[in-house]
Amino acid sequence: MSQAQGIQLGQEQGGLVSRIRVTIARRTEGRALALLILVAIATWITEPTAFTAWEVTLGRVALIGLVALGLTAVILMGELDLSVASTLAVCGVVMASIDNLALGVVAALAVGLIIGVVNAFFVVVVGINSFIASLGMLFFLRGAAFVISNEEPVRLASRDAGIAFGKPFLGPLTPRMVIFIVAFIALQVFVTRVRAGREFYAVGGNREAAYDAGIPVRRRIFTGFMISGFVAALAGVINTLERTAADPTAGSTVLLASFAAAIIGGVLLTGGRGSIFGTLLGATSLGILQVALTLTGVQVDVQNIVIGLVLLLAVITDPNSLRTVVGSARSLFQGRSGSHPVG
Amino acid sequence: MSENPTTETTRQDAGGRAIIEARNVVKRFGGATAVDDVSIEVAPGEIYGLVGENGAGKSTLMRVLAGILTPDHGSVVVDGRELEAGSTRAALEAGISLVHQELSLVPELTVAENIVLGTTPVQAGFIKKREMKKIASDALEEIRVQVDLDEPIVRLSVALRQFVEIARAIARKPRVLILDEPTATLTPAETDYLLDMLERLAGQGLAIIYISHRIPEIFRICNRVSVLRDGHLVDTVSISDIKPNEIVDKMVGRELKQELETSRTKVAAGDVVLQARGIKAPGVNGIDLDVRAGEIVGLGGLVGAGRTELVRAIVGADIKSAGTVTINTDGTMRRVNSYRSAISHGFAYVPEERRTDGLALTMTVSDNIALPNRSQLSRYSVLMRGKIGTFAKELADAVGLRPPEIQREAGDFSGGNQQKVVLAKWLGRKPDVIILDEPTRGVDVGAKVEIHRLVRDLAEGGTAVLVVSSDLPELLDLADVIHVVRDGRIAGTLSRDEADEKSVMSLASGESQVRGL
Repeated sequence: MSQAQGIQLGQEQGGLVSRIRVTIARRTEGRALALLILVAIATWITEPTAFTAWEVTLGRVALIGLVALGLTAVILMGELDLSVASTLAVCGVVMASIDNLALGVVAALAVGLIIGVVNAFFVVVVGINSFIASLGMLFFLRGAAFVISNEEPVRLASRDAGIAFGKPFLGPLTPRMVIFIVAFIALQVFVTRVRAGREFYAVGGNREAAYDAGIPVRRRIFTGFMISGFVAALAGVINTLERTAADPTAGSTVLLASFAAAIIGGVLLTGGRGSIFGTLLGATSLGILQVALTLTGVQVDVQNIVIGLVLLLAVITDPNSLRTVVGSARSLFQGRSGSHPVG
Repeated sequence: MSENPTTETTRQDAGGRAIIEARNVVKRFGGATAVDDVSIEVAPGEIYGLVGENGAGKSTLMRVLAGILTPDHGSVVVDGRELEAGSTRAALEAGISLVHQELSLVPELTVAENIVLGTTPVQAGFIKKREMKKIASDALEEIRVQVDLDEPIVRLSVALRQFVEIARAIARKPRVLILDEPTATLTPAETDYLLDMLERLAGQGLAIIYISHRIPEIFRICNRVSVLRDGHLVDTVSISDIKPNEIVDKMVGRELKQELETSRTKVAAGDVVLQARGIKAPGVNGIDLDVRAGEIVGLGGLVGAGRTELVRAIVGADIKSAGTVTINTDGTMRRVNSYRSAISHGFAYVPEERRTDGLALTMTVSDNIALPNRSQLSRYSVLMRGKIGTFAKELADAVGLRPPEIQREAGDFSGGNQQKVVLAKWLGRKPDVIILDEPTRGVDVGAKVEIHRLVRDLAEGGTAVLVVSSDLPELLDLADVIHVVRDGRIAGTLSRDEADEKSVMSLASGESQVRGL
């Protein structure tokens, strides 16, 4: 390029193959997809029933995934919401405590939204680190769930509605699965096509830049926590309906499983990177894994060991982490022979 | 590059009606006054230069103009109307666009999304993709840069990111464009391109405020220039009425300038102390290097050429994939395999990122200085507080820490004084080899002179010194020999007599072939 024409700054446009390669390189879900394929193949060989009984598997994915989807919205902004599991429990209890079913559902969802607002208030207005703010909420809400329920499961007044809710209503899909799929589509569209959702990436990726560009950062953080609270409340409502009772201890495993799903899905805990789709892939991997292990008769404790290993595998296969791991391993061995005088 | 006669005539002279004015702006941070009663005015079509040392208040003043900071006193006036203070939105609406010194792009969003960030066109909340891309491609067309609109910023080079940032400012249809050191990370060719672009934009009637440390750039494109020092406006002059060295005089004050120009007298170098052979690491493709006792070896090259990666691999701060490093003192050669062994064998390493890698900012200066010197400051593994105090005080005085308060947190000090603390803590070990990566980046001219003096003193005391610097005058001033690094290899080696800005830059940018070595 000659000086007169300026300098070549952009890249060349390649053919189809390179265009596909570029598209893949731009995505953050690559490792989640690879892991899902790996898990799927392993399951296919050892326990194919996990696929033939796919309703069971999908149900499990929906159970793990729903809360994770809402949580992802918050994590994308570089914030954490540890209160999701407690939110799930307290909203279930609130719902079951109200005799009118419709009123109960509305109240539960409203409580979820309010919890989101309170979380965001502490983070944005008071300026507390979100880990600490939501940790406080975690304890507060769990305690509140026990107090409201008098420390025992609250039976749902309209049991019939609950029983009906557990049954397939759209082909083979139960309402839980349908709600999960709708929530996924809504959130996926929100963070890819809606301006407010897209700006979550700016808030998480470069907050200073977001402020300078005139993005209402505080409002976005409020929105994120409200999404997370609402989705957790939704999960609480579904749980209560399916079990026809609200247990104040509900969702004890949800918190960690949600974070695991998001992390396996390539969502960066410090914000700005990841996607709702990635979280879906992560939740699917976890769901298939759990169902397959259960069907093979592996105990829950051992399942947790496997999930822990998968989570670590997912994180260390990040290209950056991988480089560090290889490097550290090498220096460990170099160091052992090191420091000897030579020559 | 010759001046384009058409832009020269269309460009307005300074006498034209001002489009933007800063009136008696004062901005304080805590006790320090960053900008003190500064007034400037810029006319449409004018390129207005703003120079000054680091910390002179240039960036602060620009952030006031852009509405990011609220001034403590004074106002910003656009077209005779006073702007709402401290409102980025008001500034944007008035047509003021700031291209930041630090890149302010969102890494995971695409080029198009970043260009429209904050002003994304929407319909019922949904992004209007086609319109967004139209705005982005128009802005890129305006600055004549080609880049895939769907590319996430993380996948772009530093230079391209800079141009995307400018495209974003352009997309807002500004009437006043402020650029804060836009060429810091650009190659000479890219810089040329940018300067031509700015002249063209000014020719179309845009008012441009241009901040740069590089005086030649100011002379090439600016109509007028203002000099800031310690928050005060020293002078505003038409570019035709001033010479480059007069600007430097105004920037630094006369007494320092003398010292800047004193060059080091060549010391007879001793034995090879640091020997690196076949170093390979990410970004480093096989480099051999020797540094002798009392010698200052400079590593020149462009940002991203692999110099930082090289020195980090040498000291073992990062992992090298191949190569050996030996240190030769007292007649024994010792191999260095890890950072710990490097330090214990007499290395000292002053990293590029002093705030994250060089200092514990929340610890006191005294404790920072004590960090690498714990063994000589403790008995039976217990640190002796009293001894630390006197030890740290001595070293802080030796490096000229200001204010000399060693019990204050390191984070409270200015960049230059933080760097002195980093140097002080290594001086305490009397290193045989010291490696400095960009030792004076972000440091004001006064501290720079002092740091240079310390580095020379070290060399004269017999320490082998390896310096990485992108500041060419600094490199030429300090180094006895300069290795120019390009693409992870040594592109050429220049002795003190051969080296000048041109020869280093041509090797660094690949315009000339390998010679020497």
